[in-house]
Parts: sequence; structure tokens; C-alpha cells
Amino acid sequence: MAPPPSTAQKSPSPSQPSGKSEVSDLKLQLRQLAGSRAPGADDSKRDLFKRVISYMTVGIDVSAAFSEMVMCSATSDIVLKKMCYLYVGNYARCHPDLALLTINFLQKDCRDEDPMIRGLALRSLCSLRVPNLVEYLVAPLGSGLKDGSSYVRMVAALGVLKLYHISAATCFDSDFPVMLKSLMLTDPDAQVVANCLLVLQEIWNLEANKSEEASREREALLSKQIIYYLLNRIKEFNEWAQCLILELVSKYIPSDSNDIFDIMNLLEDRLQHANGAVVLATIKVFLHLTMSMNDVHQQVYERLKAPLLTLVGSGSSEQSYAVLSHLHLLVMRAPMLFSSDYKHFYCQFSDPSYVKKLKLEMLTAIANESNTYEIVTELCEYAGNVDVPIARESIRAVGKIALQQYDVNAIVDRLLQFLEMEKDYITAETLVLVKDLLRKYPQWSHDCIAVVGNISSKNVQEPKAKAALIWMLGEYSQDMPDAPYILESLIENWDEENAAEVRLHLLTAAMKCFFKRPPETQKALGAALAAGQADTHQDVHDRALLYYRLLQYDVSVAERVVNPPKQAVSVFADTQSSEVKDRIFDEFNSLSVVYQKPSYMFTDKEHRGPFEFSEEMGNLSLGQESMDNTPRYDESDKDLLLGTSEKEENGAPSANGSTASGYSAPHDYNSSLVSLSSQTRPEPATSDPSLPKHSSHGNIAIDDLLGLGVPAAPTTPPLSLNPKAALDPGTFQRKWGQLVISISQECSIDPQGVAVLTTPQALIRHMQASSIQCIASGGQSPNFKFFFFAQKDDKSPSYFLVECIISTAAGKAQVKVKADDASASEAFFALFQSALSKFGML
Amino acid sequence: MPVAASAIYFLNLRGDVLINRLYRDDVGGNMVDAFRMHIMQTKELGTCPVRQIGGCSFLYMRISNVYIVIVVSSNANVACAFKFVVEAVALFKSYFGGQFDEDAIRNNFVLIYELLDEIMDFGYPQNLSPEILKLYITQEGVRSPFSSKPSDKPVPNATLQVTGAVGWRREGLLYKKNEVFLDIVESVNLLMSSKGSVLRCDVTGKILMKCFLSGMPDLKLGLNDKIGLEKESQLKSRPIKSGKTIELDDVTFHQCVNLTRFNSEKTVSFVPPDGEFELMKYRITEGVNLPFRVLPTIKELGRTRMEVNVKVKSVFGAKMFALGVVVKVPVPKQTAKTSFQVTSGRAKYNASIDCLVWKIRKFPGQTESTMSAEVELISTMAEKKSWTRPPIQMEFQVPMFTASGLRVRFLKVWEKSGYNTVEWVRYITKAGSYEIRC
Repeated sequence: MAPPPSTAQKSPSPSQPSGKSEVSDLKLQLRQLAGSRAPGADDSKRDLFKRVISYMTVGIDVSAAFSEMVMCSATSDIVLKKMCYLYVGNYARCHPDLALLTINFLQKDCRDEDPMIRGLALRSLCSLRVPNLVEYLVAPLGSGLKDGSSYVRMVAALGVLKLYHISAATCFDSDFPVMLKSLMLTDPDAQVVANCLLVLQEIWNLEANKSEEASREREALLSKQIIYYLLNRIKEFNEWAQCLILELVSKYIPSDSNDIFDIMNLLEDRLQHANGAVVLATIKVFLHLTMSMNDVHQQVYERLKAPLLTLVGSGSSEQSYAVLSHLHLLVMRAPMLFSSDYKHFYCQFSDPSYVKKLKLEMLTAIANESNTYEIVTELCEYAGNVDVPIARESIRAVGKIALQQYDVNAIVDRLLQFLEMEKDYITAETLVLVKDLLRKYPQWSHDCIAVVGNISSKNVQEPKAKAALIWMLGEYSQDMPDAPYILESLIENWDEENAAEVRLHLLTAAMKCFFKRPPETQKALGAALAAGQADTHQDVHDRALLYYRLLQYDVSVAERVVNPPKQAVSVFADTQSSEVKDRIFDEFNSLSVVYQKPSYMFTDKEHRGPFEFSEEMGNLSLGQESMDNTPRYDESDKDLLLGTSEKEENGAPSANGSTASGYSAPHDYNSSLVSLSSQTRPEPATSDPSLPKHSSHGNIAIDDLLGLGVPAAPTTPPLSLNPKAALDPGTFQRKWGQLVISISQECSIDPQGVAVLTTPQALIRHMQASSIQCIASGGQSPNFKFFFFAQKDDKSPSYFLVECIISTAAGKAQVKVKADDASASEAFFALFQSALSKFGML
Repeated sequence: MPVAASAIYFLNLRGDVLINRLYRDDVGGNMVDAFRMHIMQTKELGTCPVRQIGGCSFLYMRISNVYIVIVVSSNANVACAFKFVVEAVALFKSYFGGQFDEDAIRNNFVLIYELLDEIMDFGYPQNLSPEILKLYITQEGVRSPFSSKPSDKPVPNATLQVTGAVGWRREGLLYKKNEVFLDIVESVNLLMSSKGSVLRCDVTGKILMKCFLSGMPDLKLGLNDKIGLEKESQLKSRPIKSGKTIELDDVTFHQCVNLTRFNSEKTVSFVPPDGEFELMKYRITEGVNLPFRVLPTIKELGRTRMEVNVKVKSVFGAKMFALGVVVKVPVPKQTAKTSFQVTSGRAKYNASIDCLVWKIRKFPGQTESTMSAEVELISTMAEKKSWTRPPIQMEFQVPMFTASGLRVRFLKVWEKSGYNTVEWVRYITKAGSYEIRC
């Protein structure tokens, strides 16, 4: 660590400071100068002070010179004063006794006739951060807030916040929040108003969960009166204060649509502001105000496109990254609206990789029938990129598009061309994708297998890719003449295979292959089972043991377990629940968007907002940690052997725990799932393996596991709903804002229901028959959004509020329930779901 | 919360602390170490400008040879934080005479501390306008050390003006000669496929202004943009004069521009700050005139030889010319020998960037120039056929040309004293990222 070079300083010794001797030397020189009134003394003091500050910056402890510094501070030179204030602010906290020395001269300076000095002294006084000294703060702060100079008032306002952080009690006892509030509403200076606002915001946010009054105060900041007062003055504020105000406005709940349009008209010109932060803050206001108005919300997206795209293209790459993250969020929410703008997301060669990555994800999301060809062509260009992670990313993107589309013909060809590029990482990525593709579109197996069969397993090293290749060998062993022999050679090298994942797949592939081509595989299977049972990895060992016992028990049962007829996967699970997404959207224009997770997942406990999170949310956060941007492969790769059903095992291991207990091993839910997925009732297996009868209704069980079907009926007493419940939109909105989500779940919709749901009205009428009223609806096929409510029949004012987002394309409904009486929400949800499931059945 | 930065650090490339300013106590003092350990000394550097370590987030930016790091412990507004850094650097530059690097910081660190105190308080951005700050942060940079006794006189005006109605301009300015300089600077971004079709093309332009005007002048700028012209003809109820009009996709303005008037009347009117500033930025995607066409042909002759032929055509007016034209043609790493033939300029092989670099100092309009090169490669076994060609990149500047076709129609200056002004307008088009795949 080098100190600043002494070129700029007339320092007598340009040598490196070694620490102690330098500091004592400084002390001595300062002491000599302290009392000096000689002309030029200030200049020499400046030099000395500069050296002290530079030592302080590089981390040398110069606190020993504290008293000397204080002695020298009696000066009229404002620069000297500032350096002294900085020094004092830095060391006061660790030397509270010495800090007391400074109180006197700071207090004196707070009464100086120059407003600059008054302001500076007040700022430093508040920055001492010594709890014992707060009593000296109150009086100067009080007079500072009433000072004639706006500069001092501005500093004093923030001083209150500093005081609050040292001692909240003192802050409230002195009634500073009340003073700030009146100052905020009356001060002619915009910066003072802004500072008051931010102080009040921070204080009430932190206090809100401690006292009723504080949360009322927080609400009061969002009152129409204050919001309009600030909005009408918004042009007086500087750009940073505008960001602050816009952030506040985005939390405002407008009373009616006129209110919304007034605010939007007033703020529209902010979208042309040169400061990108102001533009983003305005965008947030627009998005949040129009949340309840579906069609306007869409128009807002259209309106916001141009300013966002401009912001992306201007400024440094860091700035454009921040903007792109937000654009990414919007694109993910409404890909259709951006489908014609795909060219904007083409990567420049010189873009940094973090920008490219976001662009790739956006290109993936907006691909549809009209632009797929261009996008995939472009993505294929990137596959040859020198930046290997980006090349991989772009191959994955092609694969994702293939999984989204119905017409995958051309894409499959492209993917297969990747295999011919003969680059290890490209081959590896492509293999994983081809595997997923085959799970969704088994009809392509013929083309794919022909190419995959030519790949030598020796050229594939990455565990995921190897596992994918082995899966294909097992699954399509009837179409690949060499399959048993390739598997055999892989099994021979069992001991050299490090990844447990690959060994697990080898076992299963050997089993599958055995049932299709027994004579050729028998030897290999025997070797695999033997090696597997001797394996040190618990899962591998257990799976080998399971297969062994299955075979021993009954070969035909084993075949049905390992090689059941499979259904193609229709939709791969989305890893982020829509609740998490909504929360990120609520936190628009913050780090949450960049990290792509809600703030409670990354800020300290003390910074967590006043929300309570359900268990479910907590679990989600764990699943999120990996932050891999292809989590869906992650999940499926852990165990992709058995088609669709076992995908869910990661989501539901605890439920199956009991079934696993029969086995000797503690951690074998993989194997327990084998039994679960193919049978109707998961009976715990005992040490004497008596397998229950195979049932033809396997799919229902699978649906249950997937959480798609009707869950076990709750045992609470039947709930009856008031058929004539009424609620006005305003109340609904307020309640929706106040209540926490008690249930958030996805349910499937009957295909007949999908067929009937061409307009929202159809479902609204249907739900009314079940005493569930609709308060707002919107959307067009295939996406609808409804807000329902219902009231308990016992005349208590207990309401249930429901948000229901239906995607007819996927046949899914995302349901969120909020309830006055959270304990009854389970019962209500069951009612709601059964009503929904009857939709379309006549 | 807009930013609520807990601390701000300036580090040099080795990780030495140049400036540290702690605003809040909610982060530990060892944050610099965390940044050095987890970001600077790993491959993480440059992979993402926002990183989370422990409970804190680090937002960092590299500017010349300095890293500026903002540490936050809350869910901060990222865009605002980065914008703050950019604005702060602009402010420092205006104090240091245009320079911002490690030396400038070391030589002015006291001034930087002083400014950091003013521009941010307890982690919230305050006032970053150089015009205002210069009124009361009077310590000169090292250019003239301690020339004037700073600020013994009280400056009530400054504090009054901190947030006055025209916060960006001082009153009572006086110039002998009233002059305005307008610079229209455009950069063209192009991405062309190997088949010669334009994949993506846009122009980002900015209008830079330098004002030396007395008093409080009111300015009005007229451009040949479509919306503005239509509005004007509507107001004056006469048809649009023939001539090229252009469509701006999006515009942003300096805070001095009256946005309400822009939205209602589509005119750009403003009271300018003194000195240099960026008046507006715009973006155009339709009807872009590309100044250069590049026609590459690259043939791989066997495993060890390549033939590169690049033809560049200038398609702007014959009376104009481009300056500093550079064409970079990537070649494989194992290039051993090159030989060139060029019709103008000079070409050579630059091994450090694996490119053939062809430079032409002055390139007249409506002409064409070619480079043909033969490249010999060392034959290697490791790389099979997998040389993936990065795009050809081009740099240039074309004075008095705008790729968008934007023109300044008028610039009117009103001041109550009624002085005459001299207006100067310049145009220049530069290459942004001008990439041609081959």
C-alpha cells in the first residue's frame, strides 16, 4: 500500500511512512503550529493535514494525533476546517473520550455567521456517531432545522436521520419527525423538502413494524395530498430528488382511473430526462399505477420501449447492464410485446459477457413463430464465439427455443449441426439439449439417434453430457445397434468414472437396454450391478441394490418399473414461482431485478421489509441459490432416468420419506420414487419386498406428485359462502395490499374448460354459481387474469380474495388466495379449486 | 431508497485505496478487503459489475485506471448508483481540467473528499451540478495551488442557488463576444451478416453545446425531425417545405430543456448552462445512411494458407472525406506470415489482437479502396477446422456528415439586452460498433 506520492505536497520526507515514527513526527509538527498566528501558518497546516488524511486513507492509524488536530482546528480557513472535520468524523467513534474535545468547537461553529460553516459543522457534529454525545446534538439540530439558510436546513434534515441511527429514542423525544414533516410541506427549498422526505421515509420504514403509529405515518406519506404536493413541484427538484419522489409515487394507490391518468400525463415528459435513473423511476411509476388496468398496462409497455432501448444504448456498459436487467424483467413478463424488437437484442462483438448473457435470455424469451428463424440463425453465430461461456449459453438458448416451439424441425437440424462442429463444449451442451428435446418430442428420435450414435463416448467428458448420452443409449437402445457394447465398455471403466451422476445413469441405462436386448446386455448388466453394489456412493449403491432385488423378485415387474410406457413431457417446470416474480416486479428499479431474486433473499435481516414470508417462500429461496440460469436442466439431470414422474422428486422428497424407510439405506428417495411413480398407492416397502399391484391409473398418481391434481381434501368443516357477497373495488384493492398471501398454487384446467374459456365472462358466470364473485378481469386468449372474492356465510366480514391467472395454452391456472381469516383459506381454496375444475363440464 | 450508499471507494488497478469515504455504519471497515479478495483477485473481475458478498452488494465501475466501488447493504437503486458515479466523475473532471485517473486523484484527494461530502450525505446523493458546487467549493486543483484565499467571504448566493429555479446557470455572466458552438456527434452501429444483409443498424447521436453567452438567454433549437416540422407547419398552417425529414426514435434532453414545451409544441427551448454540456441525445433506426460498405472475401486455401480480400467503398458525398479509417480483419492465432497489397493506406499484421490492421488516413467520398492479403498459417494438429471468424471491425470519422441526415435548421437566441450572437455548427459521424461478419 503506497501513500499518495508526495509530488503535490511540499512534504519534507518523501519516503514511505512506516507508521509510528511518522505519526509522532506529525504530532510534534502539529503541536508547534497549533498556537502559531504567523502568516503562512495556515499553509503549513494544510500540508500537515493533507499528510494526516492521506495516511488515514491508506489505513494507517493516525488517531494518536487527535488532540493536536483539534488544537489546530481553530482557524478561519474553510479547507483546513473541512479536513479537520473529516478526520474527527473518522476517529470519533473509536475514541469517544477524545470526541468530547471536539464538541466545543463544533458547537461554536454551528453558530458561525457563515451558513457554509454552520452547515459543515452541523454535518460533522451529527457524523461523530458517539452515543454518549447525543445530548449535545439536539439543540444545534433544532436550531439548524429553523435556520434561515436552506443549506443548513438541508444538512439538519439529514442530521436527524443520523441522530435516529445513533439513538432513536432521543430523536422521537425531541419531536424531530414532526418538525421534519411540517418542514417538508412548507419549505420553499426543494432540496430541503427532498431530504425531509427521505429521512421520514427511512425512519418510518424501519419503525413500521415496531409501532402502529409509525406504520400510520408511513401510510400518511403516501396520501393523495402529499403525493400531489410533491408531484406538482417535481420540476423544482434535482434529478436525484426526482428519483426519490418517483419511487414514493410508485407506491401510491390511486383512487380512480382519472387519478392514474393525471399522474401519468404529468410525468410523461420525465421519460425524456437525460438521467437514466429518473427515466427508470418514471417507468416504475407507470408500470405500477396501471397494474389494475390490463389494456392500459400493455400500452404502457409499448410507450416504455423506446426510452428503455435508448437507455440501453447510451452510457457505460455498467449502466446499460442495469437498464438491460430491467428490460429483461419486462421482456420475461410480456415476451409477445417485444417480439418485433428482437434485433435490438443481437449481441455486439464488443459487448461484455454479462450484457450478452441477458440479451441471449431475452432473445430466447421473445422467439415466436414469426421470428424464430432469424433468432436461431443469430444464436448459431454465437455458438462459434470465442467466449466459451457465451457459446454454451447460446446453444442452450437454441435448445430452449426448441422446447418452446411447436415447429422444431429446423432447430433440430441446427442442433445436430452443432454436434458436427467437433468442439468438446459444444458437443457437451448439445447432447444435454438433444436429451431434453427427445423427452418432449420423442418423434424426433430417429433423426437424433442417427447423429448421436456417431459420437464416441470418449469425446464426451463433462458429467452432464455423458449422463445425457448414456440416457439416450438406454432409452433408444433398440435403435442404436452399438448401444449394448458402448454401455459395456463404459461399465468396464466403472472405477474411472468420477461423477456419481454418470454411474447412476449407467445402471439405469444397462437395465433399460437389458429389457430390450437381453442376450447382448446380460453380461454388462451383471458387471454394472456388481460394481454398483460395491460402489461407495450411497445413491449408486442403493440403486444397484434396488435393481438387483427387483430382478430377483420378478423380472416382468422390474421391466414395468424401469421401462414403463412414457408420455412426452409437455411443459418443463419453471423454477421461479410467479409469486417470486411478482415480488421482483414490485421491487422494480432496485438490486432485486439485477440479482433476479426478491430483496429478502440477499439483504441483511435488519433490512428485511415488514413482510412475513411463508414456509414455501423460504424453501424457494433455497432452490434459487444455485443461480444457474439453466436450472431446469439441473433439476432434471439429477435423475433423468425415468421419464416424467421423477422430475418432481426434488420438489417432494419429504412427502415420500416414509416410503423410503423400508429400505436399508437412509437416503434413497430416488429408488422410493421408482415405486411411487408407477403405482397408485405408495405403500411402504418392508424388508420383505412385496410390491403392490401395478395399476393402469399410473397417470393420476403422477399428477398427484406433480401437484397438478386435486390435493387431499382438507379435514376442516365445510365452508359455506355467502351467495350475495359484495365488495367495492376500492376496498378490494386496499385489502389486497394489506393482506399476505396465504395460498399460492398452480392448478390445471380441464381441456374442456380451456375450450370454453374464450372470453373472461364465461368463467365469471361459472364461478358465480359457486358464490365466488369476480371483481375485475382482463386479458385475451391464451392469457387471462381474474380477481375474485367471496365472503363467509356466517355474516362475519371475513373475505377471501383471489388472484387467478389462467394460461389456456398450458392449461394451467396460477391461483393466489389472500384471506381475512387465514385459517379458513385452505378450505376456501379447496372449494375454489373444485369449482374451477368443474368449469367446462356440462 | 434511491441509493443509500454505505461507502464509496476509489481503488487503483492493484487494489490500493486512493479514497475511502464511509457514509454509514452498516458495513464493516474491511469492505475494501472483501472487494479485493473476492472480486479483484479472481476471474470475477469484469464478469458482472454488480456482485454480492456477504450481506453487501458491490457496484463497481472502471474508469481509466481507477475502480470506483459503491458498497450498499440495502436493496439499492442500481441505475441511480451507476449514474451517480458517472456524474461524480464528470464533476471531478471539470474540477481537474478534464483528467481523471490515479494521478489526478492522488494529487487532488483533499478536494475529492471535500466534494464527496457535498455530493452525498449519509449515502443519499445531494447536488452534483458543477456550476453550483464551483461557487462554494473553491479550492482550486493543483493547477494553481492556493492562489486565492478560499472563501473567507460568506457565499449566501451559492446556498440560495443550490436548488434555485435555474439551478444550472449563474446570474450575472458577461462575455465580450457572445458565441454558441453546436456539435452534432453521431455514432453508427452496424451489424452485417456474412451474406451482406444488414442485421442491425442504428445511430445514437448527441448534440453537444458550448455556450459563452451573457445574462440569462433563452434559446430555441430547430431540427429537421419529422414530428417537429409537422407540428410547426400545423401551427403556422402552411405545408411542410420539401426536403429530407427524419424520424427520431427517442430523445432525451439535458435538464435545462423545457420538456413540457417540447411535448406540446415539439420545440427544443432552454436556458443553457454556462460552458460545455450535452444538450440532447437521440436514437434513430430508420433510414440510416451507412458511410461505408465493406465487401470481404476470405478464402481458406488448404490448411496453411488464406487469401483475404477486402473492398471498402465510401458512399457519402464526393466533396467530403473520412479521417482515421481503420479496418481490422481477424485472422487465426497461428498466423505465421502475411503479405499485403493495398490501393491506399498501409496494412500490417498485429499479432497481439490477431488482426490484419489496415489504416487509411484520409478517405475521400464516392471512392473505393481494396486490400488483398495472403496469410500463411502454421499447421497444427490441435485445432481441427474450428477457426470461428470474429467479425471485421471498422473505425472512422466523417466530418460534416450525419448518418441520420439530421440537420440544424436554426438556433435562436433571445436575451433581454438584445445582443448579437455568433453560432457555429459542426457535424461529425463516428463508427460505434461497426461490424461485418465474414
